[in-house]
Amino acid sequence: MDREPLDRPVTLAVVEDTPVVLEGIRSWVAADPGRRVEIVASGNTVDSVLDGAGAHADVLLLDLELDNGVNSLPRIPELVAAGRRVVVYSVHEDDATVMAVLQAGASTFIAKNETKEHCVDTIVAVARDRPYVPPVMAGALVAADGQTSRPMLSAREREALLLWFQGMNKQSVALRMGISEATVKQYIERARVKYASTGRAAPTKTTLLARAIQDGLITADDIIEYQSLAADHHTRD
Amino acid sequence: MTASETSVRRNYSLGARRAAVSIVAAWHLGFDLVGTVGTWEDYRFPWLAGLAWVLYAAIAVVAAVALLRELPLRFTVWPYAAGALAVSAMVMAACEPGDVVNAADWGWGSVGWLAMVLFWDRPTWLRDLSLFLLANVVVTLAGLALAGTLDPRSLSKFLVVSVGAITLQAGASAGGHALDLAARWAVENSNRTAGAEAARKAADQVHADRLARYAEVRSAVAPVLNLLAGGADPADPDVRHESAVGAARLRRLIAETDDAPDPLLHTLRACAFDVERRGVVVLFLTAGTVPPLPLEVRRALVEAPIEGMARARRQARVTLVATPREVIVSVLTDAPSLPSADGSRAANVATRVEAENGGSQLWIESRWTAP
Repeated sequence: MDREPLDRPVTLAVVEDTPVVLEGIRSWVAADPGRRVEIVASGNTVDSVLDGAGAHADVLLLDLELDNGVNSLPRIPELVAAGRRVVVYSVHEDDATVMAVLQAGASTFIAKNETKEHCVDTIVAVARDRPYVPPVMAGALVAADGQTSRPMLSAREREALLLWFQGMNKQSVALRMGISEATVKQYIERARVKYASTGRAAPTKTTLLARAIQDGLITADDIIEYQSLAADHHTRD
Repeated sequence: MTASETSVRRNYSLGARRAAVSIVAAWHLGFDLVGTVGTWEDYRFPWLAGLAWVLYAAIAVVAAVALLRELPLRFTVWPYAAGALAVSAMVMAACEPGDVVNAADWGWGSVGWLAMVLFWDRPTWLRDLSLFLLANVVVTLAGLALAGTLDPRSLSKFLVVSVGAITLQAGASAGGHALDLAARWAVENSNRTAGAEAARKAADQVHADRLARYAEVRSAVAPVLNLLAGGADPADPDVRHESAVGAARLRRLIAETDDAPDPLLHTLRACAFDVERRGVVVLFLTAGTVPPLPLEVRRALVEAPIEGMARARRQARVTLVATPREVIVSVLTDAPSLPSADGSRAANVATRVEAENGGSQLWIESRWTAP
């Protein structure tokens, strides 16, 4: 977990039309000891949220399936292109949905079953353009990587993602792999960065990659390699 | 009908057809040709007799080709049948009046062979052939009348030759068709035998499967039933867990033979569902598509995870990650422990059972790797 002090709370806009889910998000945000996130806007539709108080929120938390039958997936590219950091959450946690959301340019994906544990950490990481991989997304990355003929993930990265998906905490993963917790975090985040170069280009992806280099997560040379692998993935799609 | 049965029938059928064509060829060359050439000087119109021979030969060739290739005749069979009758009349007309039904008049006795080949493939061959032979008798009698030789001697000769020819021609035709029929019977018989044999094998297989399933069911529930029979308290948590484990095994046995698009997922889901009904919170997460796996691999993959699920007290996180070359099933649960697995083994499936979170949890992972 990132304990770097914040000069101000991260501002969050939530697009959610089920009151009880919104209440849940509010309570998780309120329960965060560091009070790192502040909800500045919420509403039933993307437009109603962004036209009002959410216009300048750091992060947009978007429910993939709104009750009125609207699927938010097609809206993601334009939001991301406009420079918004989008975190998508959904009850559909299959790998196809996760990968479609990532390909559309969203910063990250959280399954509804893991929102409680990972919601605040994800939002804070995304606000700083840092990768955050909740367990369900880790599973989707392993499955997606295993389906290609030129995998992008190393065996150690795969193993870390897999154990994380299976429900272990990072300390357990570290213990089992005989490495430090920081290295586990690095493996998992690096996997996300590698997959940031797939899908459509977006300002948030560029900042994610830039931040990853700055943090020493990857080197500039790696980027070129990932991009060539990503291009390879695209030609197959 | 199978390919080999079809070929048996075809061989018999083709044999009969070839025999019929050979008879016609031999007759036309050995008898008709000899008759025509040998009595050439005696004909009133030798060229007409020669023309009739050629017409007969032409019809015979067309009919033989159609018969051997099993193709229908162009313009149906009737113009050819009429042609054959014309041959009979032409030869008669070519003869001197006194020679009708004599050796020179070969046509009326031999066109029946032509008719045999022409009508061979028709379902109504017997009726058609009879009609033709009758028509030929009428034509011949008319020939005799026109020649003015309806005397007892000619008539008796006509009757003898007619009866002989008709008997031979109808007999040969009937024989050929009987061969065809016998072949069909043989094939039907062999089909029945093969069918009975297949049914017996299937029944044996079903019986063997049933015995195997019975043995599995027995091993799934016998321990807990023995415990209960021995006076164990059903309220005892250990006994309740044994019962839950037995129920999960039964569930797996039932689910793994269901016809589901993804049998592995189906089995795991069915077991998770049962565990949930016991009040355990199950989080079931999957990623990727499971490749087709043989039953023993599936069984080895799910056995330990299902035991783990069945022993869960309050919660279990079940995950499945599948790629074309690897399938990993895992359960992270608060189950106290797992008895050493002694059950299903399969090549390329590795199972790990380890304590997790300082012993408060149990982590079970089964991994299949493509060979």
